[in-house]
Amino acid sequence: MSEYLLEVQNLCKKFPIKGGIFGREVGAVNAVNDVSFKIKKGETLGLVGESGCGKTTLGRSILRLIEPTSGAVIFNGQNIVDFDANQMREMRRKMQIIFQDPYASLNPRMTVQGILSEPMDIHKLCMDKEVRKKRLLDLLDQVQLPADALNKYPHEFSGGQRQRICIARALAVEPEFIVCDEPVSALDVSVQAQVVNLLMDLQKDLGITFLFIAHDLKVVEYISKRVAVMYLGNMVEIAESSELYGGARHPYTKALFSAIPKPDPTLKKDRILLEGDIPSPMNPPSGCHFHPRCWNATDECRKDYPGVKAESSTHEYRCFNPIQLSEK
Amino acid sequence: MAEKILDVKDLVVEFNTDRGGVTAVNGVNLEVFKGKTLGLVGESGSGKSVTALSIMRLIPTPPGNIAAGEIRFRDKNLLDIPLDNMRSIRGNKIAMIFQEPMTSLNPVFTVGNQIEEVLELHQKELSNAQRKEKAIEMLRLVGIPSPEQRIEEYPHQLSGGMRQRVMIAMSLACEPDLLIADEPTTALDVTIQAQILELMKKLQDELGMGILLITHDLGVVAETCDDVAVMYCGQIVETADVKTLFAHPQHPYTKGLIESIPSFDSTSGKVKDRLPTIEGMVPSLFNLPEGCNFQGRCQNVSEKCRGSAGEPKLETIATEHQVRCFHPLS
Repeated sequence: MSEYLLEVQNLCKKFPIKGGIFGREVGAVNAVNDVSFKIKKGETLGLVGESGCGKTTLGRSILRLIEPTSGAVIFNGQNIVDFDANQMREMRRKMQIIFQDPYASLNPRMTVQGILSEPMDIHKLCMDKEVRKKRLLDLLDQVQLPADALNKYPHEFSGGQRQRICIARALAVEPEFIVCDEPVSALDVSVQAQVVNLLMDLQKDLGITFLFIAHDLKVVEYISKRVAVMYLGNMVEIAESSELYGGARHPYTKALFSAIPKPDPTLKKDRILLEGDIPSPMNPPSGCHFHPRCWNATDECRKDYPGVKAESSTHEYRCFNPIQLSEK
Repeated sequence: MAEKILDVKDLVVEFNTDRGGVTAVNGVNLEVFKGKTLGLVGESGSGKSVTALSIMRLIPTPPGNIAAGEIRFRDKNLLDIPLDNMRSIRGNKIAMIFQEPMTSLNPVFTVGNQIEEVLELHQKELSNAQRKEKAIEMLRLVGIPSPEQRIEEYPHQLSGGMRQRVMIAMSLACEPDLLIADEPTTALDVTIQAQILELMKKLQDELGMGILLITHDLGVVAETCDDVAVMYCGQIVETADVKTLFAHPQHPYTKGLIESIPSFDSTSGKVKDRLPTIEGMVPSLFNLPEGCNFQGRCQNVSEKCRGSAGEPKLETIATEHQVRCFHPLS
């Protein structure tokens, strides 16, 4: 088996736009466009980008919660895009997802015991009553919730605790891979740090691989070994997180990092202020989608979409006029 | 010293709920100066927004009730004037922008209509044509391209960043002395947030208004505010100028908040340490502990904090630096 747990190859997802009285297809939104990356076992890949750039669609396409239009998702050496429903159900035991809003993703009428038991019932795990009970308590312990939480309902918990329940539910089937879709965005700063620490501990103890989707670059940079940056459905840069902050080659990455407010009032601001808005993915600009907001754009950028260039074995970007590293 | 525009003294706001009364804001003091920005920071439920709404007298009564305190705006106590007269101040002398620009704009009126409405209410001497001209000028001021066309458009035709610009244009149409911005960039993407913050700063320099900026993002505070007040459970726990607060936080809660933000300066390759956190969670307002509200989450907690010496008071420890703690960090 290869060292990579997950390999995504040229994944595309198009959403048709229906129009007219007959509901014909009048266009398509390229939500995810030709995205490829690999994640090693036990590694965290961060995925950042602004709203509407296709982060969530990508995360869900990998789990086939949204059916990808084309491309391959190779998990443990098998292309799961070809799987039928039964194989997929079996496979979902290995791949789980944690959603952004812990208020919306827990059934308000189920107790925590019910919520955590359901995935185990579906996959016929720990069916013995004693074993099940022990497993439930272990799960609560892993996410640092008290044992008496079992008989409570979601509304009795705060946002951070609910997110812990969501994490415990994902862990219930002992997955190898978890997509974390903005798991801390809805939480307060002090609670956010607790959940980030919990996820990092779980990874260390259980060796779980994460795809960590977030728009908060500080959190992503912190938790991930490598970070991928998306813009309008395309992956524009992927690199080691330590390399990306200082050594970004794509102008968008650099602008994105410089836009984050730094919690230090003494720092000199050398912010790159991007002009304009994010274009609509229904009608993306020609050539490189970033060219209307880019300060390095040339005629070439307006005509063609740049291919992938490799800076090193771990650092790839898509840009005709990358930032020269002496510029930084 | 700059002119003091807003002076909130010992504000107490209570709410009657089915589960009993809660004090959402408990003895808050704030000062906003002309041309300066005061940041009001705190986690959800700490009473930031209730404080802002009280200044505008927008607290729904009942269930809410401003139980005590003074809100001095220039030389008037806003709590003394009749609610009807408040309307001539709201949107005129004090303006407010909210977090979610989509829900604060009316979807069935054009952008131009909504800006003109403000002028219609507060600058009755203007003619229709003058109002339109002024609305276009406001849109241009906030950096909306081709404002002559945009003025005819509806909110759904604009992006999130554009909508927030329209909100700012509306709030500044009457050149208010005080702008209250309640999480103005929380719903926006970082690159758009940077644009909006830059715009607010620029407009402040041009128009000289005081800003009360409510946010939970300490990064935003560090970049835009002159002074900061940190709120916890309805009380201000620390207030100082922005440089002092970030360099020498005195309250353990402030320090915890600052430390729990991941920073970029981690050296490459090395295994990252755990993020420092504040253990536990915010206590329920229905069930606040005796003594210091932060005792359950504090590292330096002592017997004194648990109620034997009453509640800690906001003490002045240096010029312009106050902290509500029995054991301030040195």
